[in-house]
Amino acid sequence: MPQLTLFYRLILRPMLREPGRTLLMVIAIAVGASVVLAIDLASEAAAGSFHSSMESFSGDNDLELTAVGGVDERCVGLLDTQPEPRRVTPRIEEYARIVQDGETVPLIGLDLVAEAGRYAKEPAQLLPNGWNPFSPAGKQDGAMAIWVTADLGFKADDQVELQINDTRTLFRVAGVLPASAPSGTSAILMDIADAQQVTGRRGTVDRILLKIPPGESMEQWQSRLGKLLPAGVSIQPQGTKTAANRKMLSAFRWNLRILSYVALLVGAFLIYNTISVSVARRRPEIGTLRALGASRLLLLGAFLAEAFALGLAGTLCAIPLGRLLATFTVRMLSLTINMLYVSSTAGGLHLSASTLLLVFVSGIGVSLLAAFAPAREASLVAPTEAMARGARDHDVQQARRQLGWYSLASGAIALLLSFLPPLAGKPIGGYAATLFLVAAAALLMPLVVHGSMRATSGVLQRLFGIEALLAARSLSGSLRRTAVLVAALATAVAMMTSVAIMVGSFRQTVLLWMDKELPADLYLRASGTAATDRHPQIAPALAAKIASLPGVLAVTRFYAFESDYQGLPVSIAAIDTNAPESGRDAGFFSGRTSGQVLRELEEPGTVTISEPFAYKHSLRAGDSILLPLGSTVARLRIIDVFYDYGNEHGYLVMSRKNMLQYLPTLPTSNLAVYLQPGAKTEAVRHAVQQAIGGQEVVVLTNAELRREAVRIFDQTFTITYALEAIAVLVAIMGVAGALVSIVLDRRREFGLLRFLGASSAQIKKMILYESACIGLLSSIAGLCLGYLLSLLLIFVINRQSFGWTIRFHWPLPVLSAALGTVLLATVLAALYPARIAQGLNPIDVIHEE
Amino acid sequence: MQAVLEIKGVTKEYSTEGGKVRALDNFSLRVGRGTFVALVGRSGCGKSTLLNLAGAMDFPTSGEVRIEGASTTGLGEQQLTALRRSKIGFIFQSFQLLRTLSVVENVELPLLLSGVGAARARALERLESVGLAELAGRMPYQLSGGQMQRVAIARALVHSPALLLADEPTGNLDTTTGNAILALLHSLVRTEQATLLMATHSAEAAAIADCVIHLRDGRMDGTAAAKD
Repeated sequence: MPQLTLFYRLILRPMLREPGRTLLMVIAIAVGASVVLAIDLASEAAAGSFHSSMESFSGDNDLELTAVGGVDERCVGLLDTQPEPRRVTPRIEEYARIVQDGETVPLIGLDLVAEAGRYAKEPAQLLPNGWNPFSPAGKQDGAMAIWVTADLGFKADDQVELQINDTRTLFRVAGVLPASAPSGTSAILMDIADAQQVTGRRGTVDRILLKIPPGESMEQWQSRLGKLLPAGVSIQPQGTKTAANRKMLSAFRWNLRILSYVALLVGAFLIYNTISVSVARRRPEIGTLRALGASRLLLLGAFLAEAFALGLAGTLCAIPLGRLLATFTVRMLSLTINMLYVSSTAGGLHLSASTLLLVFVSGIGVSLLAAFAPAREASLVAPTEAMARGARDHDVQQARRQLGWYSLASGAIALLLSFLPPLAGKPIGGYAATLFLVAAAALLMPLVVHGSMRATSGVLQRLFGIEALLAARSLSGSLRRTAVLVAALATAVAMMTSVAIMVGSFRQTVLLWMDKELPADLYLRASGTAATDRHPQIAPALAAKIASLPGVLAVTRFYAFESDYQGLPVSIAAIDTNAPESGRDAGFFSGRTSGQVLRELEEPGTVTISEPFAYKHSLRAGDSILLPLGSTVARLRIIDVFYDYGNEHGYLVMSRKNMLQYLPTLPTSNLAVYLQPGAKTEAVRHAVQQAIGGQEVVVLTNAELRREAVRIFDQTFTITYALEAIAVLVAIMGVAGALVSIVLDRRREFGLLRFLGASSAQIKKMILYESACIGLLSSIAGLCLGYLLSLLLIFVINRQSFGWTIRFHWPLPVLSAALGTVLLATVLAALYPARIAQGLNPIDVIHEE
Repeated sequence: MQAVLEIKGVTKEYSTEGGKVRALDNFSLRVGRGTFVALVGRSGCGKSTLLNLAGAMDFPTSGEVRIEGASTTGLGEQQLTALRRSKIGFIFQSFQLLRTLSVVENVELPLLLSGVGAARARALERLESVGLAELAGRMPYQLSGGQMQRVAIARALVHSPALLLADEPTGNLDTTTGNAILALLHSLVRTEQATLLMATHSAEAAAIADCVIHLRDGRMDGTAAAKD
């Protein structure tokens, strides 16, 4: 195999002779590809195979019946009395907090008598200690029976204290269900009657699952049942809600996936740089090979093979690394999804064939793609031009103006793309604009590096000496090597900057929004972990009790139901309209005060909607919507739209008084307490706590609630920062690798300088200055590019993905710290190449010529 | 009179995969100020090794090298660098100009590396002396081979070294240009009173030297031939 011999001698052997540089490149690809793998695995586990916690023990059914405020339990009887044979499974669905360890798990109420026959076919371990888990055990010693999944760590006969809504109750474990229970998640089961009692769902159930007989289609059944059941009952195929949640999560997954490709994009720049430098360095060798009869195809193949080898090695390292990263990532993603979207449990990490394919395509494909241009260039080397050392750099210098025009064109395309509307709900134009903007910046780099170094070399020399001048001149004189390097690091810095600006702006917007949205002095909710789709109830009488306390001006109640509107999830909330008028802009699109909007909201058939809901469904003030509520379908007029950042799928808010017309037993989940002027917050808080008595309700001051919200916000965006930090890490490793290449390529120059009287310390200084210049240029260019990218992120990608209006804000402390770290890390990355340069023997390198 | 360069019984051995190679074998030489010495001999005879030792770029395996009385043996990295900065100038066969620096910047480089101020004026003066003052702002790739070598000579002389070491300075030039360079070197040695040690294959180059040393297998072949 002469080709293999040539590949070994011409490609592999030189790579092995420079193990440090090769290793750095492999690590850069490995880290880039492992991030892609980790995010793919983790987002698939946390969001892709999304399974609501409430799907536990839902079994194999065809239709599900739901209604805002619960389905009247008489519907169960109505369905059961129909002539056709069918299976009707009513459910109570709630969350319970295990007091012992604070864990919150789904609590499912099932008709265990009716269901016993079905589950009796389950494996024998369902029947520990001779208990039949699906035969209600009834109360023994005053404790109701529950069945728990094995992973919760209880055994039969254990006593378990659960907090359901704001009340603690003692239960007895009647049986343990296998860990691999139907949904694969932790759950607590109890009889539906007990569940209705402990959750306060008197006369209603949360969902009715229906198994229809074969024959008629689901649509026919939906139509028939629609006529039979009250108008407010929604009849959908089972899993509709899960599908709606998946749809909602897809934007989140998309953005996450795009972010994960940043590290790989930076890796691509570095591969391009490595192969490009390799080609430039070996032009005489390539020319000689051409003169000796090597075909263009052979040379193209040889350099592509180098990229393939780097890509393959990196990808193979990426698989275990990515798997490891995914175990940490999945926890963070799960947390974010639970906080922002819906209570769910992450599935296991499964390394499927498609995921493996993705990693190989990412690692190797990107390497090959990045290497194609320099490999092609190698294949075009003519034997006669082979000895023209430095000619290529000269070419780049000549071409930099032309590249500047290309950059301008690319920037213009980016601008045009940013105006495109979303395609299939995804900001495709925004993503493409991002790529074009990055390309524009990369194309501009030769001009930027050359111009800036030429302009500042004199100043640098005066400030830092001849070493700084040499470093600056080397950067501007070797654009082929340095422009790509600066572009790679600038891209990473830009991504980091843009995300920091976007998150910082978002954070600032949320802080400002909280000023408007949280006007009360004290807030009450049931204790336990808060989640966007959980609304644990508190005792209805508490509001009146607190309102009568001295120092209290007013108390408003809040409750929300999770429902869906046109196939997308939505929260439907009811609020009291007696909040004191603050007289300030309360965050409504109309600019009206909260008092003005609340007064209008008291009119029957009115609703306000949040911005994300308005954006997703293209609604605005004045529009009307049809909404199933209780046993009817209400026509509601939108009176205003409000900014909201607490819930991505959106809110529909009605006055409590109007909601009571549809749902007469409207519970309460939160209270807002307004104090009289001059009242002491701590004193009233103490009185409120006294009034609460033994109920599990927490009282938070306005400041505490804000702090909690900011903590959750910061926690949510940790992964975003982590992804960007990894991209920067890849870039810095790439800088170290590329500097090694530069040092080896310029060994003659370093040798010469030693002959001319330079000390090894001066050589080291020169490399460090060069690296510092790369870091500084990249940081400045990255900051500029990052600013533009942040505009795309905030005003195009975020807007089209989530529908939020974010006000632009410079997070100066975060940016300064990040850029300072990048600069320091770049200089530190140069220590190894500087050591190599110091160790070069000037006699050897000068006589190589 | 103190010799500018004194080499006493120097042996230099290199370790290679095939064993030890003796590049210089008990070699001695004493060169006074203002002398132009040509080193001639076949490739591998030890010319470059001798220049490296004389330029304080390398240490002898045994023996001693003294530059203006200072022995290189036992000097540390910093002291060797200081010695090179003040007393030695190098001229290479392939010019070795830094392509990222302009002509004048190349010339002033040794001064700047030594931390000398007012480098530009001295560099321009040197360029004037080699007849290239008008090309001071050009980049190396804009020069001919002969011009590049003139720049290299100006650079080697910019800090007025006592010892000038030239390794095949005309090896990459055509005969006419090569002769012009040799004439320039000769005249500068005379005017500057610098000592020039030049390795060459060229008979014409050797012909203008004050003294020709023939090297063979690391030893002096016969005796140094001094000329009038």
